[in-house]
Amino acid sequence: MNDNLIKLMNDGFDGEPSKRVLNYVKTKMEKNHPVVGVYCGYAPIEMIQSMGIVPTVLCAFSNIPIESAETVLPANLCPLIKSSYGFIIEGTCPFYSMSQAVIAETTCDGKKKMFELIADIKPTFVMDLPQMPDELSAKNNWKNMILNLKEFLERSFGSKTSDKKIERFLQSANQKNQLMEKIFTFAALKPSVISWQEMYDVAFIALPSTGEEIIPTLTRLIEKLESRVKEGFSFGSQDSPRVLVTGCPIGGDATKIFNIIETSGGVVVAPDSCTGMKTFMGRFEENTGDPIGALANRYLQIPCACMTPNNKRLDNLSNMIDQFQPDVVIDFVLQACHAYNVESYKVGQYVSEKHGLPFLKVESDYSDGDTGQLKTRIQALFESI
Amino acid sequence: MKYGGIDIGSRTIELVILESGKIIKKNQTNTGYDPVRAASKLLDGQHYDCMMATGYGREIFQLAYGSQTVTEIKAYARGVKELYPYAQTILDIGGQDSKAISLLQNGKINKFEMNDRCAAGTGKFLEVMANALEFPIEQFGEEALKTSKDLKINSMCTVFAESEVTSLIAKGHNRYEIARGLHASVVRRSVSMLKRISISGEIIFAGGVANNACIRHLLGDALNQDINVPDEPQFVGAFGAALLAGD
Repeated sequence: MNDNLIKLMNDGFDGEPSKRVLNYVKTKMEKNHPVVGVYCGYAPIEMIQSMGIVPTVLCAFSNIPIESAETVLPANLCPLIKSSYGFIIEGTCPFYSMSQAVIAETTCDGKKKMFELIADIKPTFVMDLPQMPDELSAKNNWKNMILNLKEFLERSFGSKTSDKKIERFLQSANQKNQLMEKIFTFAALKPSVISWQEMYDVAFIALPSTGEEIIPTLTRLIEKLESRVKEGFSFGSQDSPRVLVTGCPIGGDATKIFNIIETSGGVVVAPDSCTGMKTFMGRFEENTGDPIGALANRYLQIPCACMTPNNKRLDNLSNMIDQFQPDVVIDFVLQACHAYNVESYKVGQYVSEKHGLPFLKVESDYSDGDTGQLKTRIQALFESI
Repeated sequence: MKYGGIDIGSRTIELVILESGKIIKKNQTNTGYDPVRAASKLLDGQHYDCMMATGYGREIFQLAYGSQTVTEIKAYARGVKELYPYAQTILDIGGQDSKAISLLQNGKINKFEMNDRCAAGTGKFLEVMANALEFPIEQFGEEALKTSKDLKINSMCTVFAESEVTSLIAKGHNRYEIARGLHASVVRRSVSMLKRISISGEIIFAGGVANNACIRHLLGDALNQDINVPDEPQFVGAFGAALLAGD
């Protein structure tokens, strides 16, 4: 680690990715762009952006509002759902306050039923996500959902878009995602020259930004990272255990897992979740004459555990393992997230049998009551390398 | 050279000092609310050249004593390997943790499983239940073996199981049968943990709960094999840590 390391983004928001996004959304709002809240990586942001609307990911990662949420929701529900709901009833999520509508993707039963409880607060458009992505009907169903969303947004905001516009946004998003992948490759170096916190800084702002807006920034960051390589800056040493973290989304209080990995001497080289690398992987097919179909295709490639079968997750893990060369794989499962929890068995078998890597599943929530136990497990995992 | 190992657990602290590979000192005390103070009392007047700390209190001890640390998982693996060179499968049940560890031929950890943050299936669970049934914890296992009837206890959670015990008492069930049922529930949990790491070869059972005759008996029955328990199994962690200090 280098104390005199120049901050990567160096814009006053380093280490506080949500504040940077808040600043971005506010600026757009002042320019009269409508804002809509989204919950997950399946939201077709390029189409939303093509209508001049700003998509913003809603708050879901703090332990604080969970107490309020539990006055309504059962305690043994996923903390991400409880936190999301708690933020809304407490009125403490600035992104929700700025949103004029909410786009809600049915990635799990808990979320789906929670959406019913918030649907009367703000216009809420529920997107029924097909969960067997390899079926022929899935692509058509998801395309239809995106078309319905388009109508909903047109109706709500009087905004218009066209295939030509969507195609333009999709193409610049391809460039954005390609640059993001390039940035992540700096973590594939041994030792890594980018920290997980910096990857988060970039990923959080890149997600809601249009390709055209963010490409100059990403290009500048790549130059900066290249000069880090020349100057020999790095995170951790040659011997620091390299960690691939897969599983549920990790943000806010859940980043305790990254902190424990670091205090135990490890380096997170591949945060593979919807808050990390996952949403930037893959490309939209260009110039198909059916840009919404291209969006639908690409979004259905996201290997969330809600999909079945979800072999794409295993294929993606193999690619990430080959690229980032982790020493261990940690599967982070949020309490009561049945899909990721059950899938963890397959992931563990795959990682140890196919790649011969030590694997650890941890099940946790947003509280810090299990820090000691997590530390012991992670340290023991590192000892086993 | 004298190598020390100290295992600062949630309930007790064990100290082992080795010289030329032989144990020259072995001591135990209760952890209480101030683990560093309890540890310093245990260390009072002891001589050692190098100390390795393990157990949940290893980091607070490290701050006070500047010693090295290692996880309980590695310490138990090292200790067991020394006592049973052929060991491949370890079950360790301590005060508030239980662990199943599988070892590679060279003694390195292959896989491990640990209980969740709650005390289900640990020494703490047995202690609370012994208390509820008014058995001294030291004799809880022997007392439970006085009956052969298996009463099924469904709750794994310490708090829920205590309520279940209360309702079984209210229904007039024999306390020996309840005691045996509680032991069986700890064993069921341990067996499923062992199966998750997949059992190979003989099982070495260590940690304070390995002193409990009923758990040993039911575990052997459930797995249909002999269970090896080292002498004074609660010292295996500290012993392993002392060995690691010397390695």
